[in-house]
Amino acid sequence: MTLRDYAIRYGFIVLLLGLVAYFAIAADGFVSPQSAVFIFQSVAITGVLALGVTATLVVGGFDLSIGSVATSAMMAAAYVMVVLEQNALVAVIACLLIGALVGLINGWLIVYMRVPDLLATLGMMFLLVGLQRIPTEGRSIATGMTMPDGSVANGKFSDAFLALGRHRFDFFIPNLIPVSVVVLLVLALLIWFFLEYTRFGRMMYAVGSNERAAELAGAPVKAYKIWAYVISGVFASIGGILLAARLGRGDIASGNNLLLDAVAAALIGYAVLGGAKPNAFGTAVGALFVGILLQGLTMMNAPYYTQDFVKGVVLVVALVFTFALSGRGRR
Amino acid sequence: MNITRRLLGKVALGLAGATMLMPGAFAADKPAPFDKPGVKIALVRYLSTGDFFQAYLSGVEAQSKALGIDLRVLDSRQDAALQSDMVDQAIALGVQGIIIQHGLTESMKDAAQRAVDAGIKVVAFDVNVENPKIPQIEQSDKDLARLALEQAVKDNGESWNAGYVYVAGIAPLDRRNETWVDVKKKYAGIKEVAMFGTLDNPIANSVANQARSVLSAHPDINVMFAPYDEFAKGVKIAVDEAGLNKKIKIYSADISTSDIAAMREPDSAWAATAATNPAVVGQVSVRALAQLLAGEDPGHNVIVPPTLITQKELIDKDIKNMEDLSAKLPQFAHADVAMPAWMPNPNAK
Amino acid sequence: MVGNAVFRVEGLRKSFGRNEVLGGISLELHSGEVTVLMGANGAGKSTLVKIVSGVYERGGGTMTLAGQDFAPNTPAEAIRAGVVTVHQNINDGVVADLDVATNLTLDRLSGRGVPTLFNPARVRREAKAVADRMGLAIDLKARVSDLSLADRQMVAIARALAHQPKVLILDEPTSSLSSVEADRLFALVDRLREQGVAILYISHRMSDIRRLADRIVSMRDGVVSGAFDAKPLDYEGAVNAMLGRKVHLDRIVVRSSAKAVLTVDGLRIAQGARPISLTLGDGEIVAVTGLVGVGKTALAETLFGVRRPLAGAMTMNGKPYAPRSAGDAIAAGVFLVAKDRATSGIVGGFNIERNVSLPFLRRMSSLSVLKRRLERATARRQIEELGIVCRSEKDEMSALSGGNQQKVMVARWMAQSAALFILDEPFQGVDISARRDIAAKLRASANGRATLVFVTELDEALETADRILVMSEHTIVGEHRNADIDLDRLLAEVAGGPLHSAA
Repeated sequence: MTLRDYAIRYGFIVLLLGLVAYFAIAADGFVSPQSAVFIFQSVAITGVLALGVTATLVVGGFDLSIGSVATSAMMAAAYVMVVLEQNALVAVIACLLIGALVGLINGWLIVYMRVPDLLATLGMMFLLVGLQRIPTEGRSIATGMTMPDGSVANGKFSDAFLALGRHRFDFFIPNLIPVSVVVLLVLALLIWFFLEYTRFGRMMYAVGSNERAAELAGAPVKAYKIWAYVISGVFASIGGILLAARLGRGDIASGNNLLLDAVAAALIGYAVLGGAKPNAFGTAVGALFVGILLQGLTMMNAPYYTQDFVKGVVLVVALVFTFALSGRGRR
Repeated sequence: MNITRRLLGKVALGLAGATMLMPGAFAADKPAPFDKPGVKIALVRYLSTGDFFQAYLSGVEAQSKALGIDLRVLDSRQDAALQSDMVDQAIALGVQGIIIQHGLTESMKDAAQRAVDAGIKVVAFDVNVENPKIPQIEQSDKDLARLALEQAVKDNGESWNAGYVYVAGIAPLDRRNETWVDVKKKYAGIKEVAMFGTLDNPIANSVANQARSVLSAHPDINVMFAPYDEFAKGVKIAVDEAGLNKKIKIYSADISTSDIAAMREPDSAWAATAATNPAVVGQVSVRALAQLLAGEDPGHNVIVPPTLITQKELIDKDIKNMEDLSAKLPQFAHADVAMPAWMPNPNAK
Repeated sequence: MVGNAVFRVEGLRKSFGRNEVLGGISLELHSGEVTVLMGANGAGKSTLVKIVSGVYERGGGTMTLAGQDFAPNTPAEAIRAGVVTVHQNINDGVVADLDVATNLTLDRLSGRGVPTLFNPARVRREAKAVADRMGLAIDLKARVSDLSLADRQMVAIARALAHQPKVLILDEPTSSLSSVEADRLFALVDRLREQGVAILYISHRMSDIRRLADRIVSMRDGVVSGAFDAKPLDYEGAVNAMLGRKVHLDRIVVRSSAKAVLTVDGLRIAQGARPISLTLGDGEIVAVTGLVGVGKTALAETLFGVRRPLAGAMTMNGKPYAPRSAGDAIAAGVFLVAKDRATSGIVGGFNIERNVSLPFLRRMSSLSVLKRRLERATARRQIEELGIVCRSEKDEMSALSGGNQQKVMVARWMAQSAALFILDEPFQGVDISARRDIAAKLRASANGRATLVFVTELDEALETADRILVMSEHTIVGEHRNADIDLDRLLAEVAGGPLHSAA
């Protein structure tokens, strides 16, 4: 390998390590197990979303609805528990079903109705932002809230559900690792294994690279595409569950920032290890990169708009890595 | 939200009943034009989604019902140009009064003047239309911040290390910030060791992530001033996650049912919040307009005073939601602003 | 040849890098005559058209239009001088989102002396004049995207004729038209011929050529290989000149098969086409040849399950065979090396190893988890077998030459044993040595399966096959054992004998 190859391959990892080193010196208390866990926790939700969107990027698609799927799932979880007074399991299942259903509809729109992916999922995004407000007429959901018909919702977030956001596992230090971080790591491993080591993942990459070739190699291309959106939807709804468990209520929100951060993570992931293609490992590193950056900047009292700026710079640099330096301008 | 639909329904039913039983009631004790029902007014809104605006509307509706007013609601959904057109639309509808709820000075100033020129009475809530003939309804953000901070000083003394959540450029937050700056000047012992904040939605989640970082960078913080309940919610999540809930106290502004639940949690770090009841603000808006229509002067600045709500009060009085809050904290349910003797109180049962 | 040629090309040359595409073409077009230009893929027809229409710069030679030197630097210059080209891809000639009137006058919207403001009334007036002159009966307000292909074609031609050309070049204008639609086009061409336009008509379709040609010029390998203007025209001679024949160095040993693998009975692959019946035997290689557009790819895709036949039945090793997808076909042991590897074969994001394993991932995994060692071993074996030149099985496809890329495509499908192995134009864009390697490999491994190769070039069929079938008009019109071939008869069949001269 030439020096250039090394730069493309490991450049981003080196950048990441450099960043950690810089913050370790510049920000007190940055280097500690707790701090590391904070970073993981702060990227857990966007990370899960980013892993889902990676699946759609792999088949050459895109999913703009993930942010609103997550917030819709959050509302659904709150609605199921607070208004319908069901338990945590029902709430989780309801969220996952919503994610899968939205994914199916997205896939159906794109594959059978031939709506371009960006437009179909954009439409779905608007639809969900509106839909999540209908059951409560635009109110946030919390225990004791008054429903449109005048009754008072008496259910509450079950402890089991809140534990998803608040329980911590012991890991050398007691009460160290929150559930959301474990979920992120498990899902990252799962999707990484799925994409890299199973024939389904391989075929999804083939579909994304040359749809016709994949079809002529016997792959049910339409089914693969739909599955990618189902994965994306389900992952987004898992993100929504974690969000609901952390906030302990159902907040009206568009989830646009979740979407942007997740997409940024996935796109930064293209550059990691010079893959120049969507990949689960890269996405996880990308999410971590953003998390480390924000943690460090916040610890150094940087205001929020500089953080957005820096996030944008990282994304642009990553895209340059991917498309210009590696000379493989392909998505 | 103290004015819930159910309550509202009762009020309306009661009113309807009263009207039917005593057809002369209007003529008897109210000045013209309220001596008979059917006065037409319009509420021209800029912002409408969210709990606050929902509650504000319910306040407007309740007071309108109490006065026998025919209310039209025009909602521009954050479209400044449309909101301005809607004022003209309201003029065309032949309304006698208009409430302008939020908006941009630039787009609403001329529209408000057109309404005044058409002989229509106008009040404005939370938007400065720079017109001496138009009373400004305000919830006092400075008072909100002042009440919360006074409580913080009472609880923690005059010397503490503060984390402050603030995003510049949002008018109410900027006004709350002015008080914070004053308080810091007044008490030399109060040090702002970190300032952070973001409006990335879901806001509470984003603020929680920031607050986690801030807490690890500044372990010496013992008070968090988060003068917006979404901020406070996020800070509380971070404080709980860091296990610092017994060490840190949070002071905030605004209130909702879920905020009440969060404050009531055992060992909750959220010590107090100051809030104006949005439904009361809605009622006051209508009342000030009614005074204008009846030829009375409500004054140019109609200020709705906030209420301090402490964790202790919530627990002692067993307040679990906004209805309890209205019922058990009378100063929260009703403000004695723009209340001439003839004005019906929509909260009276 | 007659001396009154309106357009004359003399010794035209063009090279791309070291690759000479035109090696001195001379051509004359006469007023009021249709000159048909024939040539196989890669003969240099499109390059010629692009030079004449001002897209490419010529490498050498002269062109004259009505005695004047003709050297257009841009397509616009060529059009202004009176040489107008209607390109093969209809949608290049029209703007789909605009209405017919605007399309007809589009060329007047730019250039010098055009008013800045767009005047719809004037546009419609001018468009109407253009349409009337051509006898075009299309609603001028209709959007082009709503029109049929034939109507779009008419609009594209009308648009070209709005310039009142002296020379009109039509590049395969009927390739996407039905026969009824083509008739309308022919009527228009007749009309233009009467008006004295010199027409260069490029086509493979014998029925078109028989209907229209006053003269035929055949091209092969960048030179004119034959010009025919004596009446009656010698169509077979023209085809022969176009396809040509090289000396075959190694004649193959022809085998015949006893055991039938695939039987096709009454298969109809296009509306109005005659049914196809054929039998493919174990161990034999059958080549299907025919001009471009006679339905070779359609037949290949029908056998592979990605296209449904209109009628007919297939039997594979005694069992009914009716694949509904490529997956079905692969499961039944029918493999296809598809035409045009760049768009339908190569997965650009994958290296050699992953390209080879693509269709057989299920067989290379247990519990859906890929067996990477098996995958690598297979790729290495196939690289060895076909002699693919590369550094390792991890090489990117883009690093390989065209011939090696094609070998990877063949290697992909030879990794598992097939019952029926179909190759559609496997020698396209492949150098001569790779072509020999692939053919030799096919012959060496032919036992145990039936092999069907679709080729346009006759040479490729003669080099590879035991049996040669000739296709024309979406059906099979001839069969030859590749031992004592009656080439004249074969060429006549390719040219579409009198028996099949449709419309």
